[in-house]
Amino acid sequence: MPLKALDIYKLLPKKNCKECGDPTCLTFAMKLAAGKADLDLCPYLDDKAKSVLGATTRPPIKLVKLGVGERSFSVGEEFVLYRHDKTFYHPPGIMFTVSDTQSDEEIAAVTARVKDETLTRVGAELKFNGTAIVNTTGTVEAYARAVAAVEKTAGLPEVLISDNPQALAAALVLCGSYRPLISAATPENYKQMCALAKQHGCRLVVREPTLEGLAKLTKDCAAEGVSNVVLDLASKSLGDYLSRSTAIRQLAITREVPDLGYPVYLDATAFEDQDAAIALGIVKYASVIVTSPLSQPSAKAALTLRQNIYTDPQKPIQMNPGLYRVGTPGKDAPVLMTVNFSLTYFTLQGYLESTRIPCFMLIVDTEGLSVLTSVAAGKLNESLVRDAIKKFGVENEVSHRKLIIPGYAAPLSGRIEEATSWKVLVGPRDAAEIGDFLVQEWKP
Amino acid sequence: MIPDPNFAWTGTVGEVVLGATRPDGGTRSRSYRIGGGTTLPFMEKEQKSPSPLIAFEICDDSRYWSPIVNDFCGDLIHDPGAWAKTAETTYGADLVRLCLTSTRQRDFSDIDSLGKITEKVLKSTTLPLIIEGSNEPKIDSEVFQKCGEVGQGERLLLGTAEAGRYRSIAAAALAYNHAIIAQSPIDINLAKQLNILLKEIGVSRDHIVIDPYTGALGYGFEYSFSAMERIRFSALKGDVDLAMPMICAPSDSLTIKEVREADAATRDAIAVEWEFTTSIAAAIAGAEIVCVRHPNTVKRLKAAFASLKGGV
Repeated sequence: MPLKALDIYKLLPKKNCKECGDPTCLTFAMKLAAGKADLDLCPYLDDKAKSVLGATTRPPIKLVKLGVGERSFSVGEEFVLYRHDKTFYHPPGIMFTVSDTQSDEEIAAVTARVKDETLTRVGAELKFNGTAIVNTTGTVEAYARAVAAVEKTAGLPEVLISDNPQALAAALVLCGSYRPLISAATPENYKQMCALAKQHGCRLVVREPTLEGLAKLTKDCAAEGVSNVVLDLASKSLGDYLSRSTAIRQLAITREVPDLGYPVYLDATAFEDQDAAIALGIVKYASVIVTSPLSQPSAKAALTLRQNIYTDPQKPIQMNPGLYRVGTPGKDAPVLMTVNFSLTYFTLQGYLESTRIPCFMLIVDTEGLSVLTSVAAGKLNESLVRDAIKKFGVENEVSHRKLIIPGYAAPLSGRIEEATSWKVLVGPRDAAEIGDFLVQEWKP
Repeated sequence: MIPDPNFAWTGTVGEVVLGATRPDGGTRSRSYRIGGGTTLPFMEKEQKSPSPLIAFEICDDSRYWSPIVNDFCGDLIHDPGAWAKTAETTYGADLVRLCLTSTRQRDFSDIDSLGKITEKVLKSTTLPLIIEGSNEPKIDSEVFQKCGEVGQGERLLLGTAEAGRYRSIAAAALAYNHAIIAQSPIDINLAKQLNILLKEIGVSRDHIVIDPYTGALGYGFEYSFSAMERIRFSALKGDVDLAMPMICAPSDSLTIKEVREADAATRDAIAVEWEFTTSIAAAIAGAEIVCVRHPNTVKRLKAAFASLKGGV
């Protein structure tokens, strides 16, 4: 049962020190009650307060931060089972594996990819998030060397994967202060792993094949003072992962089992079709996904799916309204008007680029609505178009006065002509046909 | 003891039968009963419903088809019969979806040829068949009448009914006892509305498969994914007008920029990756049929679906 803000306030130090980032202890208590703040932010809590407030005040799924600096990322703090209920907030980090059987050069090639490879789509720069260093040899020396090789490329979050606590200890000497994630604590070794995690302030994977086991293990780790944990379900099949990650999400957000309120870790390399595991992890609640370095097609599909699933379903991605150029258009280049729904923009832009006809795209502000919906809602209208032509100085850019509008905006063609005194050409409904349209219909 | 998550579902996804074997008056080697789900996809305790079915799409006029697929399939693209047979025996598809792309030609009127092609494909494969009719409302009536008649007894799945355009296809389905695909533009309310319209003219629930429209990955798939999840959720919450199985046909996948502009060395791989990723996510969201066009996608999907069914 969640506590009320005033009940929480009674347990706080009432110093109003502001160190948690809130102006007073009372406002902090209100945030805690709403699940919007983490108890750890208060440095002055006594043990009694900690144990009472514990899991009932923190967000239903704990926020866990990996790495330091610009490329660090946070996962967890999710609130819904379905993205359409609100949205998913923290996209999973995708980590490329390297092994201590590889040479320094091979390792450097992978870290360079993670650091630099960027897929730009719909105006966003998509990247992979870090490396997972596997202690394949089982030896301390080889592992320390591999971790040192990864460390030559600074600033990337890391997962350290080893069954050998000595190897992990040696690695943590090199990278322990950069908040790596270490894998994995089990019922047999958790005390040792917790000691390492505590000593270096790193994050801990806990691995157990049953939900009972996981819940017990997170509790045991918390008792050892380690609460920055992620859950490895050790799944044998995709279906096994799906049903248990769904159960964990549901039991965590309803606070039925607070000990399962942690982000989920997925080792995609354990499955026969790694790409299938990655896709499954992205749509169903994985927060850290470990995979061997992906081929270009797999990399593009994974980053695109992650972007799709983690966009806010209630807020279409928008373009800034304005006049955009495709190629280097001259005074007699066509001007194509469309809406600022980014999907519309990028689809049209893609087809325009492949026509190799330089042109202008006049993007008007329909608040991210598509052509069809903005026409239906009256958002796309003649005064919007007229004002955009003036505002973005289209008349100075071209010597003609002809505007191509989307096929679905055809009902507006007469009114746009009247309001702007431009001649309106009604383009195709489907952007795929814009090339043929321009070839056949366009004359300045 | 950890409790099972309580979703409090009250509804069940309705069932639709596709394909008819000889005892049922058809000539198919198998028929499928799709739907029947009582909880989230792949989370049934007793795995009654089959894995999602993989429909391999072929066409009767390859000028309107992806050049990537055309190059990969070679001469087969000129022979829908042989292509359908290969889909069954070599690619390993569960269904064949014949797209009558020849109807896209300007002023197309050779309805008889469509009957012959349908007949040929029915003779060449023993798999249940989906037939995707014309792109031109003016000839809908004749096209569906012809295909429906040729496929009488085979329990075809006919596509595609839309809000302004469902009477001809419904008439053919009712006359010859076929199921139909009901498509709405990524909107749960419109999907429901169309199902009600179909019900009003006599198409029963167990003859409808919902197509929520699938935008390609990166080009609207985020909307399709949630539309599918919402439809499945509504069905399980007891809304019978949305309690039908779903079909996912990401037919735009092979025309998007990433695939269209890929170089020769990687274009097959990226085409497959795009179809595969979309299909996996769609199946998890609730699609019971996924449609693909690249032969290499089929086997990979089969294995992945088997792993998804692989245990609770």
